[in-house]
Amino acid sequence: MRKPSPLAIILIICLITGLISACSRSDNRTEKLHQSQLLALGTLIDISLWDVEDTLASQAIHDIDTRLHELHHDWHSWQAGRLHDINTALAQGQAIELDDVELALLQQAQQLAAQSQQLFNPAIGRLISLWGFHSDNPEGPPPEAHAIQKLLTQQPRMSDLIFSNHTLRSNNNTVQLDVGAFAKGYAIDQAIAILQNQGINNAIVNAGGDLRAIGRHGQRPWRIGIRHPQQAGIIAALEIQGNESVFTSGNYERFYQYKGQRYHHIIDPRSGYPGSNTLSVTVIHANAATADAAATALLIAGPQHWRDIARQMGIDQAMLIDQQLTVYMTPAMAQRVQLKQNLKSIIEET
Amino acid sequence: MNTSKPLHLRTSRDDHRIAALAALAIAIHLIEAALPSPIPGVKPGLANVITLVVLFMYGWRDAAWVSLLRVFAGSLLVGSFLTPTFVLSLAGACSSLAILGLAWHMNPLLQRLGLKQGLGPVGLSVLGACAHMTGQIITARLLIIPHDGLFHLLPLLITAAVLFGIVSGIITQLILIQLRPNQ
Amino acid sequence: MNKTSIVTRADIIIISIAILILPWLYLHFWGDGSQGEIARIQVANQTPRLIPLHRSQRYPIDGPLGTSIIEVQNGRIRFIESPCRNKLCIHSGWLQRDAEFAACLPNLISITIAGRNPRFDSINF
Repeated sequence: MRKPSPLAIILIICLITGLISACSRSDNRTEKLHQSQLLALGTLIDISLWDVEDTLASQAIHDIDTRLHELHHDWHSWQAGRLHDINTALAQGQAIELDDVELALLQQAQQLAAQSQQLFNPAIGRLISLWGFHSDNPEGPPPEAHAIQKLLTQQPRMSDLIFSNHTLRSNNNTVQLDVGAFAKGYAIDQAIAILQNQGINNAIVNAGGDLRAIGRHGQRPWRIGIRHPQQAGIIAALEIQGNESVFTSGNYERFYQYKGQRYHHIIDPRSGYPGSNTLSVTVIHANAATADAAATALLIAGPQHWRDIARQMGIDQAMLIDQQLTVYMTPAMAQRVQLKQNLKSIIEET
Repeated sequence: MNTSKPLHLRTSRDDHRIAALAALAIAIHLIEAALPSPIPGVKPGLANVITLVVLFMYGWRDAAWVSLLRVFAGSLLVGSFLTPTFVLSLAGACSSLAILGLAWHMNPLLQRLGLKQGLGPVGLSVLGACAHMTGQIITARLLIIPHDGLFHLLPLLITAAVLFGIVSGIITQLILIQLRPNQ
Repeated sequence: MNKTSIVTRADIIIISIAILILPWLYLHFWGDGSQGEIARIQVANQTPRLIPLHRSQRYPIDGPLGTSIIEVQNGRIRFIESPCRNKLCIHSGWLQRDAEFAACLPNLISITIAGRNPRFDSINF
């Protein structure tokens, strides 16, 4: 028998390598994925961790649970807590001392409000309360027009807040802070920070549908599905890795019906009424708090003006769906996202 | 003036035969390339008959030459050189050759185990065809369509490979019987 | 010496093996109809409950707000009753394909279809 030629040996090695790599691909599967659920922030929190040893995972999740409960209590829009104290002080024209964390949160909120031309306006707590959304079970009737007008003329804004050292005061005592529009994002950022502090770098924290992911799913990026605003199916798919948040605001999340009309919780600070033209907005951004605030602001901005606001907030990946189910996307978003259904889509340049 | 001596390549009758067979293989490849196929990537693979005939008559090395010549020359002629089609074709050919080489060299072992004639053209053809198809799918998955949905086609493609493998094998054996009447 | 046969004994063995592998390939890559898919029901932060979709049945699920009723029929699943106010969960309709998802957030119950190879790691909604 002739000696096997080098050609033969190379081919055999290629074949075996090919087979081995094809087989070992299946190792990168769910055995290394640690999934757990928490109840916090009034919703279901889904935490996925990749390749983390059990005791470390449990510890990290426990820490996140504690932190989320603290945040929920401190920043609750209407129940007794730190925010309530701050609002009381501001309403009475008094100054109040803030700790580092509170200061950071409110300053970030102020900055986002400015970037969104005050469409993201956490200072309109009174208006939100007027509409009945400071309740676990919001219901009608909607407020009278003159009551809305009265609050609007006072123009409570984040720019009314004055920070000096660690003291906060407001020169408009109709300012009532409600950080609901970005609290979830802020909380998710905190959860991710806890994970990173414990050396966990591949994870997804999903709070009631809004999520931030870091790292990857082993050898491949994380695969995210975006749900259709009105049906059970998936409208779009995308892959994320590194450090990205995906947030969706919809006009179907909190609402009540009164005499056949639907009133939802995302109030347009300019008109005093719930924003009307948009069904949902999805934003992709590294920072979850920013993504959360932006999703709210863009929903209020509507199909006409969302591009301007997005640009000012530094958002280049966003998608807006209007009441007719037309999908508007930024070019960057169109590249990232795979639309799964046959919907009319419009890609808008800056 | 210094003219270098012209180079004389001495060719044997076997070389002529292999070259003729390679040309035939390329021709068959071209004809098959022109045929439409219901499922992408599935061709009857009749050119493989040539590869197998060369394997049995001249050994694995020459079969490898003919097969690779067919892939390269075929793709150059069709105009698909270095395209994904070419890569797939090459991957299929290499996988097939690798398995054929393995199986071919296992024949002595098989004979010692009592399988007197070892693997004949039909068995080798089926193995080669399945290896060819599998190699192509894996390459397509890794390089061209990074989507697991591709594997959905696998059962159909392997069925085709087995069927066409058997057919090619039988044709090969019939040809071999004609070409080597004393065996 | 015998006449040369078209197929040798080893050939027959190879062909038999190939033919035996084929049904397995179809089962594996084309799915097993009777097993169907599974729905993962998540209540609050309890351990998820897995429900097979091939058996038509109704399941009462207790959440903090009350009892929601989930219906399985013909490989599909949906919320059919729920104590929440807006009934968004019910309006989501039938879930069938992998990764389809409906939730009654007020009652902290979610349903996810879990296919064999989950399409997504997380769903944004």
